[in-house]
Amino acid sequence: MKLSYQWLKEYVNIGVKPEELARGLTMSGSEVETIEDTGGDKVMNLEITSNRPDCLSIIGLAREASTVFDKDLTLPMMAVPEERADKNGPRAECVIKNKKLCPYYAARVITGVQVKGSSEKIKKYITSLGLRPVNNIVDATNFCLMETGQPLHAFDLDKIKGGKIIVREAAKGEKIVTIDGVRRELKPDMLVIADESDPIAIAGVMGGRDTEVTESTRNILLESAYFDPVSVRQTARSLGLSSDSSYRFERGVDKGMIVSSQNRAANLIFEEAGGKICGFSEAGVLKPEETRIVLDIERASRVLGESLQKKGVMRILERLGMTISAEKGLAITVHVPSFREDLKKEVDLIEEIARIYGYDRIPAKITKIIPQVTRKEHSRKVIEKIYRILPALGLDEIMTYSLISRQAAGRFSGINDDIVELKNPLSEEHQVLTPQLIDGMLRAVGWNINRGSRDLRFFEMGKIYSRAGWKRSVTETPVLCIALTGALRRDWQEGERPAGFYDLKGIVEALFETLKLPVEFAVSPIAWLDNAAEIRSAKANAGFLGTVDTATLGAYDISQSVHVCQIKLDGVIEKTDLRNHYHAIPKFPSSTRDISILCDRFLAAGRIKEVICSTGEDLIVDARLKDVYEGEQVGSGKKSLTYSVTYGLDTRTLTDQEIEGVHSRVKDALSGKLNVTFR
Amino acid sequence: MDVLKRLDEIKKEFEAELGGCASPREVEEVRVKYLGRKGELTGILRSISDLSARERGEVGKKANILKNEMAENIRSFGLEKTAESRKKAEKLDITMPGASPAVGAVHPITQTMARINEIFVSLGFSIAEGPEVETEFYNFEALNIPADHPSRDAFDTFYIDNEYLLRSHTSNVQIHVMQKQKPPIQAIMPGRVYRPDAVDASHSFMFHQVEGLMVDEDVTFADLKGALLLFCKSMFGKDIKLRFRPHFFPFTEPSAEVDITCIICGGQGCRVCKGNGWLEIMGAGMVNPRVFEAVKYDARKYTGYAFGMGVERIAMLVHGIEDIRLFYENDIRFLRQFI
Repeated sequence: MKLSYQWLKEYVNIGVKPEELARGLTMSGSEVETIEDTGGDKVMNLEITSNRPDCLSIIGLAREASTVFDKDLTLPMMAVPEERADKNGPRAECVIKNKKLCPYYAARVITGVQVKGSSEKIKKYITSLGLRPVNNIVDATNFCLMETGQPLHAFDLDKIKGGKIIVREAAKGEKIVTIDGVRRELKPDMLVIADESDPIAIAGVMGGRDTEVTESTRNILLESAYFDPVSVRQTARSLGLSSDSSYRFERGVDKGMIVSSQNRAANLIFEEAGGKICGFSEAGVLKPEETRIVLDIERASRVLGESLQKKGVMRILERLGMTISAEKGLAITVHVPSFREDLKKEVDLIEEIARIYGYDRIPAKITKIIPQVTRKEHSRKVIEKIYRILPALGLDEIMTYSLISRQAAGRFSGINDDIVELKNPLSEEHQVLTPQLIDGMLRAVGWNINRGSRDLRFFEMGKIYSRAGWKRSVTETPVLCIALTGALRRDWQEGERPAGFYDLKGIVEALFETLKLPVEFAVSPIAWLDNAAEIRSAKANAGFLGTVDTATLGAYDISQSVHVCQIKLDGVIEKTDLRNHYHAIPKFPSSTRDISILCDRFLAAGRIKEVICSTGEDLIVDARLKDVYEGEQVGSGKKSLTYSVTYGLDTRTLTDQEIEGVHSRVKDALSGKLNVTFR
Repeated sequence: MDVLKRLDEIKKEFEAELGGCASPREVEEVRVKYLGRKGELTGILRSISDLSARERGEVGKKANILKNEMAENIRSFGLEKTAESRKKAEKLDITMPGASPAVGAVHPITQTMARINEIFVSLGFSIAEGPEVETEFYNFEALNIPADHPSRDAFDTFYIDNEYLLRSHTSNVQIHVMQKQKPPIQAIMPGRVYRPDAVDASHSFMFHQVEGLMVDEDVTFADLKGALLLFCKSMFGKDIKLRFRPHFFPFTEPSAEVDITCIICGGQGCRVCKGNGWLEIMGAGMVNPRVFEAVKYDARKYTGYAFGMGVERIAMLVHGIEDIRLFYENDIRFLRQFI
């Protein structure tokens, strides 16, 4: 909404400079965003909130200013003086077919007008608000729209077939050319103003070109009505057509001012274009709601935390156009004017008082804190712990869009039905809720490689989405995704050390170790992963790990190896115990023996460790793979693995004999069960 | 006594020569010269029997003392020289680059959100979370935002089907919390939200919010101002000033937009604050009794306040970031600035 400082001064002698007026309006809720100097006037741009259609008018804003600065408001003449009226002149009949969408319609006929340019004052004011002067009739309706907030429309009466107004819903396939020259197809739920044969206006939105006022117009029909806000909103949206008129009808015009505003416009037309103000006709009834609110000033003080004076409160309410009919102590009965339909309850009045009184005058204080033992859920604490571990392991956090393309989602999700799709996506690129974090991860990796950063260690914690269960309801699962690519280290001592599958596996193991959860890895093929492994913890699936295959990498324009994993966090969170239990530090020394095993190169290392540990049972403290060798010295198809096995007990020191004994049992078991030899 | 004199001279010569040694090898040369089989002192000791009995005793004693002294000096001086030369041989070029272990960076949005959360936790708030996929009831109706109402214009929304949508704010969690729990309530709700805005430097269809809610008997607008003043001073600096501007939100009444003095120019007016010295950073207000009715709270008994802020906006202001897209591009040259 635009506001001219000079125009506002027609109704309230404000006595402050434009900048001060702007500050006052801003701090009472009508935010002035910009002030423009137009030479002799200052034009402000205001953001009017959707609950205040009354402020979409100069008079409405003048009322606000008069309240903020405590000055009197003077309104223009809202009745047609007898000397201008011709009671016996022609009138136009109007009929409403749908009283829900149009509860009230008023038509005033004005004859013998002379259509020409408007007076300078009218031109100046409407131009300052960004409207283009057309002719004295159209300008008068626009002036009145801006002044009072009531949209009005002038038809060329002689072009209305049958001289009669019918307010009805559009027929199927009906069309109209609006005054902007666009031919529009109407739908049956749209409300139109029609003559006996065709629509002549889209109700509350825009008039038709066939009946618009031109230089040859002599007699006019001036429309003023109340249209259902929801209907106007739907029609305007459906046509993609928003006007000054529809904007106000959508928010609700002043039910008490439909006729007064029409009179005001009729007077303006009379002054600007001459003629005679003739017959008035109306259809329907419109009774403004009678709203009476009992306001307890004591309660207002309690809600605001500031002690309010009754006199000041009443002054504010009266300036805003309310009347007070009864007082009982600190309880007052307030009558709400028709232009303030947003005020229905006591709290609405409390807001009125607070915004005029000034939010800045209410003190800032803290009077209470609610005692709460648990302020963070267990899940949040686990997530916070993971946030401490991962950066310490050298991983950088990324954050990607939860909305991805259907095509990308399909790459990583087995079943398309499980994908959650938007009904109204912005673009194909962001059409579905991501079923895996892998797409976002690979995009981030590709983005960086394309820009010359090739060594990346990324993690993301986010949600994945799918439909599950017989109800196909949407589930949101928190997951962790990690990716490694390029060199893990690059320095002059070690040279370039490429990040590999085992580095990622080590990170996953370190994470589970820190959370004190067991973790295992099982071979489990995934179509787009090489070396795919299932991550398992406490006998449950916890995610997957592997190296992205080249075909998938190609889709992201990546030509270097990328190792990824995705871990489901819901299970991890549930099983994690954040308490740290103390265990006694071992009192007795342990001792270490090496075993060098020669075996088939496809024998799984995990199997060897299993045999060592199960054979040595509680005498084994640790069995660590120390060295791996494949090559000439062991022959083709073979490999050599060296394990450091540590033996010990919590309760005493093992004797040499005991150690030798268990060590040879371990070796026997290895050769017996796995058919390996020793070097 | 020529021999005794000579011993004094030998001592002086020895000390001078040993002192001039720079390496263990030179020390060894000195040892051979003075204490070796061909050494002068060895010669004197060997020829001691040629001397008179009186001389023999005196020279013998003095020569032996000198011999021991010289041996000891050579030993200790030699050790010193050996250590010195080893140090020299093993000396490192301390200007070579170190091999640093990698330390990862947490995303600036996570960091900003964590900072906001911590401040409110320190003010007594608990942290609540809720679903992103939500129904109309929780996202709109319970929050006094009726269908086909202009107040919905501010909340354009992604829909999934006739029942579900993607939440356009984290206010849905307020409703969940109030349905689950009776007053008093003091909680914040951080989370991810979605609005169908085309992406540009200042718009994103996905962003993050932190909202707060306090409900009890006699919670006042003054309490709201107090909590937000403390928050803003903790977040943006103790010299920050606040301005509460009346505004409209369907779920609060009275409602306010909260401005802080511009943290870039200190309120003088600059490009970031569009010249007016103030930066809008959140919305706030007293919980609308209609919201209490939706969750079946006694609106006569309880009052409450609520507030909400955009995490991206705050992160952009705090770090001087001018393009919201940077947060989701994940360029490592951006991410690692926030380590």
